[in-house]
Amino acid sequence: MKFDILIAGVGGQGVVLASRLLATAAMDAGFHVATAETIGMAQREGSVTSHVRIGDDVCGSLIPQGKADLLIGLEPAETARNLLFLGKDGNMVVNEHAIMPSTQGCDEYDPEMILDFLKSSCPGTITADFTELAKDAGTYKAANVAMIAAAAGAGLLPFSTEYLWGVLEKMIPEKYRDVNRRVFDRAIESVSGNNRKVINKD
Amino acid sequence: MTLTGKRILMGNEAIAFGAMKAGLQIASGYPGTPSSEVMETIISHAKEYGIYAEWATNEKVALETAVGAAYSGANAIVTMKQVGLNVASDPLMSLSYIGVKGSLVILVSDDPGPHSSQTEQDTRAFGHFSNIPVLDPSTPQEAYDMAKLAFKLSHELETPVILRTTTRVSHGCADVIIEDIDPVPRDIEGFVKDTRWTIFPKLTAQRHPLLEELQVKMSDRFSEYFTDNSFNSITKGSSNIGIAASGVSSLYVQEAIKDHPGTFSFFKTATAYPFPEKAALDFMKGISDLIVVEELDPYMEEQFLQIAGRHHLTINIHGKKDGSFSFSGEYDVDVVIDGINRALDKTGSKTCRFSHSIAAIKAEDIPSLPIRAPTLCAGCMHRTVFYGFKKAAAKMRSKTGVDSVFSGDIGCYTLGNARPLNMVNTCLCMGAGISIAAGLSHTQEFGNGLNAKQVAFIGDSTFFHSGIAAVVSAVYNNANITIAVLDNRTTAMTGHQPHPGIGITAMGSPAKMIDIAEVLKSCGVGMVKTIEADDLDKCMDIATEAMKFEGPSAVVFKGKCVAICKGTGQYIVDEDKCTGCKLCISQLGCPAIFSIPSGLPVIQDTCSGCGLCAQICPSDAIVLKEVSQ
Ligand code: SF4
Ligand code: SF4
Repeated sequence: MKFDILIAGVGGQGVVLASRLLATAAMDAGFHVATAETIGMAQREGSVTSHVRIGDDVCGSLIPQGKADLLIGLEPAETARNLLFLGKDGNMVVNEHAIMPSTQGCDEYDPEMILDFLKSSCPGTITADFTELAKDAGTYKAANVAMIAAAAGAGLLPFSTEYLWGVLEKMIPEKYRDVNRRVFDRAIESVSGNNRKVINKD
Repeated sequence: MTLTGKRILMGNEAIAFGAMKAGLQIASGYPGTPSSEVMETIISHAKEYGIYAEWATNEKVALETAVGAAYSGANAIVTMKQVGLNVASDPLMSLSYIGVKGSLVILVSDDPGPHSSQTEQDTRAFGHFSNIPVLDPSTPQEAYDMAKLAFKLSHELETPVILRTTTRVSHGCADVIIEDIDPVPRDIEGFVKDTRWTIFPKLTAQRHPLLEELQVKMSDRFSEYFTDNSFNSITKGSSNIGIAASGVSSLYVQEAIKDHPGTFSFFKTATAYPFPEKAALDFMKGISDLIVVEELDPYMEEQFLQIAGRHHLTINIHGKKDGSFSFSGEYDVDVVIDGINRALDKTGSKTCRFSHSIAAIKAEDIPSLPIRAPTLCAGCMHRTVFYGFKKAAAKMRSKTGVDSVFSGDIGCYTLGNARPLNMVNTCLCMGAGISIAAGLSHTQEFGNGLNAKQVAFIGDSTFFHSGIAAVVSAVYNNANITIAVLDNRTTAMTGHQPHPGIGITAMGSPAKMIDIAEVLKSCGVGMVKTIEADDLDKCMDIATEAMKFEGPSAVVFKGKCVAICKGTGQYIVDEDKCTGCKLCISQLGCPAIFSIPSGLPVIQDTCSGCGLCAQICPSDAIVLKEVSQ
């Protein structure tokens, strides 16, 4: 089994935490994992990606282009920027919430256009405003949690939502646990209409 | 604590656990991405395992501290990034002659890419230069195991050992199998007086031949690792083409050639220096073409070329030097596939070529995307100071015709270079901002003949790292400069480590606080002022005053790093008052503010309430948001 997940977003969105959660859950589910995260300068509002590789083969932590089984995009433009990593049969979960680059206004960025492009290039794409969903449930900062919960809820991960929640429960400080649980549940609910896919790769 | 078993660890954490398992007693380091988490992890377990850990003011000091500990027979580690090793290179070069008692591991993290460094330098070359063995792990598990090996080798051979990682090992996470750490107290023998600890030309002359002998001994030992050690391995393939790789590149090769199992002979080494020559020579026999895959310098390639030359082997060696691979940039499977294919073309061989996986979409179909350069956080104090100086300098130029040059330094505030601030005109290495400004001040003219005022920005941690010596030199040599110390009381860029200006040690005990303004005064800086960096007008006034001052002047701007302090509220745009002039967007580059193409600015939830935008809005349209109860 081999399953590669790429998470893309903007510094400050919790890309690294999301990859830690996924990797730990995968390990708890009995898989080998390797991740590559961007830490450092890019944290300050720059583009951030995290590679999560799950499976038995020993591999480097960087996913080759065209190999990702799942692309979790915390931001539309960052999703498009990393689209080359997505394999032909891969899936996407995309946050509709755009983050405008600060330096020169945003005349060059039209999130709607990018979202349309994403949907047309990968028809099964799940999109929602996960930032809004998380904000509604208590904190906009938990959009990352909402997105991985949605991926799990849609059956796009090689392990069940229980493993994911198990890790969240351990990793998130007690005072934030309730709000994260709310975000988690609502995100799963939000994708329950999607066809649940069973992943069975060799 | 029971550790035995599988845990998900970052490579840097794995190294810390390996070091502690090996009996680490003393640790010193200076933070630097991607190395910092090694010390962070040691510090967080220090009390539990009876380890003494400290952040030093710079890498030279850190190394020398660890050396002192090792001279006493302790097991010591020192950590830094690759550019930090340049700072520590002075003691390093002498240390290899002297050697150590106890054990000393020098953890250095390289940053191919580079992701957050001034250079792409290769620490394996430093091992070669200084005659210090270099271990080069490829995964977090190897990093853990090699940390233990490094201590063992150092102790046995009485030499420091460099454990060199690259970003993907340092910052990659994986499931790592680790063991319980021995709680038994480990006694340190103590320093024994001996002439061997005092380097002197006579001692150097005596030690140098021994040092050279050691290189041969170590190279032989590393060759033996190919038979009894899993870090180094040779796999024979059916073709007469071989591939050699070290460190993380060996994983990329393995993945790239997976679809053609058994075709290529493969030489994988994690002992970079001294190069395992005997094993390499064995491997080269029967091979007509060798493809060397390594990030950064063509270090292994040169070793293979030498061996081939010395032994008159008819073998073609492909790598960076024949253009198959690039000298720069980080490698990954795709880069390695292209490089191997280029090399295979040069061999003229009909063996397989490798193909890339097919992506869901073609690169040319992706629409153009916004550039997202890193920038200072919303609410970062540095933005206010930079903007204050920018305004003050503009005023000075229009009034007096004196222009300003801004020399930056290394830290978050290097991001003052981003648009629209554009406040970093020079940036070289830690502490250089002040010395470069001093150097510029001694040149008469600037640009098109205008006089210029030289301003240097430096952070608090950098000030202690290598800023003080630069201040002393600037004062001594009458440099006409203004020093702006951006003091947010932390080492923000590398993860918020404490430093001597904070009054707390790495292990959390209180310490004497070193007052930067007092240091500046005692160095003889003519004008020294300290202000809070929250009021733009005050910042502008004091910047003007400091720049007008003849001779060295300095202002310590105190503020907070919003990444560790709670925000103080949020601002919103009052749509009735806003005229849409967009000054708040075009002037500051605050990531919390953006404008929808035709509409008014919007302040996002990431606003931390610094109020800088409210201070520059000509229409008083930016107001504090009422907090709903
Ligand atoms: S981390 Fe702190 S110092 Fe660095 S940019 Fe953000 S607020 Fe400024
Ligand atoms: S500076 Fe003030 S008036 Fe101008 S766009 Fe910004 S909020 Fe509106």
